[in-house]
Amino acid sequence: MIAYLLNLATLATIFGILAASLNVLIGYAGIFSIAHAVFFGLGAYAGAQLALQFIPDVLLACLAGGAISAALSLCLALPALRVRGEYFVAASLGLQMMAVTVFSEAHALTGGHGGLVGIPPATLFGADVSGPAPFLVFALAVLGLLLLAVRLLMRGSFGRALMAIRDSESAAEAFGKDVRALKTLAVALGCAMAGVAGALFAFYMAFVNVESFTLEQSILVMAMVIIGGTATLAGPLIGVLLLLLLPAGLSFLPFIPPTQIGAVQQLIYGLAMTLLMIFRPAGIAGGRR
Amino acid sequence: MGVPFSIRGLDKKFGGLAAVQNVDLDLQEGVTTALVGPNGAGKTTLFNLATGHIIPDGGEVLLDGKSVLGQSPHLIARMGVARSFQDLRLFGRMSVRDNVRAAIEPTAWLWQPGGGSAARKREAAVDAALDRCGLTKQADARAVDLAYAERKFLSVARILATGARIWLLDEPASGLDPHSRARFVQLVRDAVAEGVTICLIEHNLDIVTELADRIAFLDRGAKLAEGAPQEILRDPKLIGIYFGEQRT
Ligand SMILES: Nc1ncnc2c1ncn2[C@@H]1O[C@H](COP(=O)(O)OP(=O)(O)O)[C@@H](O)[C@H]1O
Ligand SMILES: [Mg+2]
Repeated sequence: MIAYLLNLATLATIFGILAASLNVLIGYAGIFSIAHAVFFGLGAYAGAQLALQFIPDVLLACLAGGAISAALSLCLALPALRVRGEYFVAASLGLQMMAVTVFSEAHALTGGHGGLVGIPPATLFGADVSGPAPFLVFALAVLGLLLLAVRLLMRGSFGRALMAIRDSESAAEAFGKDVRALKTLAVALGCAMAGVAGALFAFYMAFVNVESFTLEQSILVMAMVIIGGTATLAGPLIGVLLLLLLPAGLSFLPFIPPTQIGAVQQLIYGLAMTLLMIFRPAGIAGGRR
Repeated sequence: MGVPFSIRGLDKKFGGLAAVQNVDLDLQEGVTTALVGPNGAGKTTLFNLATGHIIPDGGEVLLDGKSVLGQSPHLIARMGVARSFQDLRLFGRMSVRDNVRAAIEPTAWLWQPGGGSAARKREAAVDAALDRCGLTKQADARAVDLAYAERKFLSVARILATGARIWLLDEPASGLDPHSRARFVQLVRDAVAEGVTICLIEHNLDIVTELADRIAFLDRGAKLAEGAPQEILRDPKLIGIYFGEQRT
């Protein structure tokens, strides 16, 4: 039971980082990306390759994953600078679909469909941190650090400029905001954080394959952010807890036949999301809209 | 007196429609110019061309005698040109105070230049602007939750706090009740007294008479006349165009 809870807590922490990173894009910069799993994946592959080829240091892997995802975030920043609204959503969908193909086919880098297996246990400065408890502590520390950074940035002028762009791009420009630079930076920041989450995920699972970085994953993370509440610090975390714990909780309900759990979950998700958007459109942690 | 802002032979077509045709306009330092004309005359488009939000097909935009044609809007803004929008374009989900803060923070990198003392100066400017616009009590409300007149004043407060020397105001007083209108007129007078050069688009001829030193009359993209208010407003031909269009 303890092992089960530790497992849930670690996954929730990793997804907490991932959801917080998407919140930078959706909540603060108004960039509705449905390609976020791509950057989660890039970080995971980068972290896994670092561990497999060189050294299984989880901190280095986080840095490498963040750096790779930040560098390739230009693939998302370019469409984000050119098109908005539904056109951007479509563009990011295209990126997501392309990335899944690349992840499945680039055997040398990603191991193709089989993925990368046998990722060695995580170390930190040479010490083994692969046990469930130490790994959870490390992941929580990363989450705490990143949340603190997001809070500082978004409470300051950078965050205000981003939110100004989100609310009216032309007015932000009219008050001297360099929209291109700010959006590019926000995308890089959000994607870098997703890359860090990916690196942690790779170590935690000890293997990675394309199944974790598909459109479904992107949509799940977006649902976490929107249900929890965009542009708040706590919102994405609440969303993560709900969407991860709900399935876990449902599996304990005695009256649902095990074979039907999947379907029942989908129904409850769908219903909850629809009702939430009607009655609390700013999310659970958000104020009234 | 200098001419800080000057437009020369500006042209803009939208498809086949000549929204602005060969318009010249000089904004003289400390002088308030009103842009008057029927709906669709091209007044807003002229602002958009002047601030770089739309690229003209031809002509020149000069700031202190130097061309700013083709410069992006944020660079033109940083040279001291502030504008409002006919549809306000407030930062809706941000607080009133953050709307003004965001408007005046110079370069939005991770840290603001000038440190603590510059930050205190900015906060003082924000407070002063909110006070003069009567928004102190609403400082923590979100912009979308404000009443109509308050929203209009917030759009002015953003400009006021920047300390910009040239203001372009697009129908800032439309729809205001008499009390708010008086407050607005006073705000503009104070700004002019502080040396701000203002160009405003305005339909209410009372406000135009109260505030404007000069009037430029636009119709169908062309500047038909420019001069002192008493000349323009007594010209039966212009008044005919103006009210003729207004009634349809
Ligand atoms: N972005 C645009 N695209 C196409 N037509 C436009 C655009 N902006 C303005 N117009 C047209 O240009 C003309 C002038 O518009 P505008 O400058 O808004 O007039 P005014 O502000 O004087 O009422 C109108 O006929 C309007 O429909
Ligand atoms: Mg207009």
